[in-house]
Amino acid sequence: MAQQEKLRIGVFICHCGLNIAGVLDIKELVEYAKTLPDVVYVKDNRYTCADPGQDEIRKAVKEHKLNRVVVAACSPRMHEPTFRRTVSEAGLNPFLFEMANIREFSSWCHPSTPKEATEKAKDIIRMAVAKARLLMPLQTIEVPVINKALVIGGGIAGMNAALDLAEMGFKVYLLEKGESIGGHMAQLDKTFPTLDCSICIEGPKMVDVGRHPNIEIISYADLISVSGFIGNFKVKIRRNPRYVIAENCTGCGECKDVCPIEYPNEWDMGLGVRKAISVPFDQAVPLVYTINKDYCIECYKCVDACGERQAINFDQKPEEIELEVGAIIVSTGYDIYLPYDNQLFGYGKYTNVLTSLEFERLILAAGPTGGKVIRASDGQKPHSVAFIQCVGSRDANKYPYCSNFCCMYTLKHVVQLKEKYKEDVEVYVFYMDMRTNFKGFEEFYQRARELGVNFIRGRVSRIFEVPETKNLLIHAEDANLGMPVEIEADMVVLATAAIPKKGTEDIARILNLTRGADGFFMESHPKLKPLDAPTDGIFLAGACQGPKDIPYSVSQGCGAASRAATVLSKQKWKIEPIIAVVDSSKCRNVTTKCGICAERCPYGAIKAEEKQPAQVITAMCHGCGTCVAECPADAITQMHFTDAQILAQLRTALEKNPEEKILAFLCNWCSYAGADLAGTSRFEYPPTIRPIRVMCSGRVDRDFVLEAFKLGAGMVLVAACHLPYDCHYISGNWKMKARMDALAPMLQKLGLSPERFRVEYVSAAEGVKFAELIREMTEQMHALGKERIKAENEKLRPVLENMLKRKGKS
Amino acid sequence: MTEEKLEKPTIEDFSREITRMLGGETITYCYQCGTCASSCPVAKTTDRYNPRQIIRMALLGQRYEVLNGDSIWLCASCYNCQERCPQKVEIADVIYALRNMAIREGNIPALYAEFANGLMSEGRLAPISKFLEKKRSDYGLPPLKPTGVEALKKIFSATGFDKIFFKKGEQP
Repeated sequence: MAQQEKLRIGVFICHCGLNIAGVLDIKELVEYAKTLPDVVYVKDNRYTCADPGQDEIRKAVKEHKLNRVVVAACSPRMHEPTFRRTVSEAGLNPFLFEMANIREFSSWCHPSTPKEATEKAKDIIRMAVAKARLLMPLQTIEVPVINKALVIGGGIAGMNAALDLAEMGFKVYLLEKGESIGGHMAQLDKTFPTLDCSICIEGPKMVDVGRHPNIEIISYADLISVSGFIGNFKVKIRRNPRYVIAENCTGCGECKDVCPIEYPNEWDMGLGVRKAISVPFDQAVPLVYTINKDYCIECYKCVDACGERQAINFDQKPEEIELEVGAIIVSTGYDIYLPYDNQLFGYGKYTNVLTSLEFERLILAAGPTGGKVIRASDGQKPHSVAFIQCVGSRDANKYPYCSNFCCMYTLKHVVQLKEKYKEDVEVYVFYMDMRTNFKGFEEFYQRARELGVNFIRGRVSRIFEVPETKNLLIHAEDANLGMPVEIEADMVVLATAAIPKKGTEDIARILNLTRGADGFFMESHPKLKPLDAPTDGIFLAGACQGPKDIPYSVSQGCGAASRAATVLSKQKWKIEPIIAVVDSSKCRNVTTKCGICAERCPYGAIKAEEKQPAQVITAMCHGCGTCVAECPADAITQMHFTDAQILAQLRTALEKNPEEKILAFLCNWCSYAGADLAGTSRFEYPPTIRPIRVMCSGRVDRDFVLEAFKLGAGMVLVAACHLPYDCHYISGNWKMKARMDALAPMLQKLGLSPERFRVEYVSAAEGVKFAELIREMTEQMHALGKERIKAENEKLRPVLENMLKRKGKS
Repeated sequence: MTEEKLEKPTIEDFSREITRMLGGETITYCYQCGTCASSCPVAKTTDRYNPRQIIRMALLGQRYEVLNGDSIWLCASCYNCQERCPQKVEIADVIYALRNMAIREGNIPALYAEFANGLMSEGRLAPISKFLEKKRSDYGLPPLKPTGVEALKKIFSATGFDKIFFKKGEQP
């Protein structure tokens, strides 16, 4: 592009007290910087980041008419935002600023070789100036925000999220798949560790949600699609037919009384029955009846009973609803694992083996047995009940994770049983570890022991049924005694794993969310962004992110509401302009079916419709640059990390003695931070690397590697966040890996020693690893020797030149 | 100094040594739930054998007790434990690894030594007596073909089996 004005670059070199000046020869650096192209002003400061230092920048920009500023000081991860503000205050566009990291990358990590360190610092400054020459002003992108929210899932987490947002004054749509909101909590009898009645505390909340003027419950409905981006989501929902008109239904239940058909009530885990026209439980919100057409015989008795209210309509059709919202909270919850596939425990085979949720419905006063714990085989009260922990959970063959709340609900059940039947029932709990790690939990465990519950530390290996009595023989080892034991019980209750809700994969696909190895949704950062989904504007709450108990889910619901409010409370949302832009004249998708960029984008931010150039949805783009590197036509540019800018850095780095250098591409979030840490920790390593910072390793184009070797680089390193989940752009590191896995054997075939091209994974905590890596690579480079490297390069060059020429990059 | 003695315990050394053995790789996954012990038909009949305890002792570095006791030789190799282990510890294979280690150290139960001797001298695990041969001919079965003892010996020496097994000059 044409440069409007002549380049006038100012370079500011920081002493950082003695942190930099104690090792590097600042005077030499100043003189050197003056010789660089387009540099018109060079100044050194004791502390550039302090007020006087910043003043000097502002003053120099005005006095010397600077239009690019380079600060050679610490890591951009430290002070880039500071100096961007400084230059912006001086009237320059903040993106016309570049940082040369000569502290973490030079003075701090090479203190015993000041001469070489100074040389390295010169290269780093020269690379920064080379990039600065190509910088372009960028405007921060603003998108309008729709001040409404969608909450998906009306369990205790979603309800709290909806209530809080509604109380803040935002309109909330609460989408519920089932007939009623309430979630699993509405199925429970008591709650641990206080034993207060679950529906008694949740019921009023459900009513509050139903009545709130800012909340619209859309129940018995499915999420169909979501498009758009933060502040501007377009949502399609399908409301399934209840065959009852919600507005007309008064919830009187007269229809139910006349209905002749009963079917197993899934709300009671199939232990009780409900009518073909009914509500799942009495406290349902909204209190609207539903006809189950799978069972209804269309006798129309209900229609007669409903009479003038005319609430029943057998012709109801699914209804599609379109909504526009600014933020989405996902609170889809979990399911309970039904261990039909585990032959060893006999679930589904032996009548007196239950899951804990089934037991919950048995002991619940409003449940199918009216709160009487009885055996399915003979209707008798059991005199001994064994509770088996970790069924499916903590099992490498099934669900390796701990399901979080099973220890506590089993303690609740045993306490309830013991308090209800006292000496009349013998209770055993087979456990591996009792996890009672929150407020009041350990005391509750104590209460169970005081009540005389037998705790046996050992995992159950097998359960047999005694055919005559339908009692159960439980085999385990009492690990504390070191003896195999066999116990006969009248009833067995399995504490089965909490697993991702059925349909989680569909929600993940629709919202472009990632799931962990356990199948639950992944948060953006496990420590600092536990409620944010990796896609902006989408938040997670409750057990959809991993098994959680009630207080934890409530906290998350409230937390997610507050996170969503940070978006909803604004008129406009600002987006960093380091996004990808497609040059439609180069895009191949116009002529052929390409769409590689759309497929590789971790955020689904690119649309490539047939015969149309690919299009980046600005607000969804996170600026990783993966598409840029993947594009076979080089039609995509990442702003602020353009091919031209990176190639300029690369060429500058390899200007002199390239065969002695390791050119390193470091991703901003992990590897660059890891290298910074090596510096901050003063881990010394040889001054051989020349770093280029990219936002994500996914940005590293194979052409960069080819160009580096063409120019004679001694070694090339691409360092990324650890696989599988550390990438800050979901999967940029995987895309890079696939690309480099294909490139490495090709380079080797052309005669490159394999150790000269390396892909490594360094986390922000692995300063030691980074230093060791560079030490090791430098040793390998020296072992190969300059002559060998030069000879290999000679052989490679014509091929590489040819390859790059074809792409038009040379 | 006593502290110095504690500083470098043998615990890790022994478990690391086991994880380097074929079959022993997974021993450190164990979380001591006892599924193996309660699945084990041998442990039901005798308290001299408990797979969970063997693993525990091994992980705690009780090298002498594990390799010199008779416990590891009582496993019947039914693989019930391995089938059911919730942490994918290859328990039966771990026991094999421990047996291999014991043998390398010369702790060979008499029965196993007898098998090895039989193989070395006759080429068979079970000796064929005159009585058996007579039985065969009574049933009209042909006499057994001679075994390739020489070939076996070559294999034993090529694999180093003979040196491990007969290291104390016990060569038959």
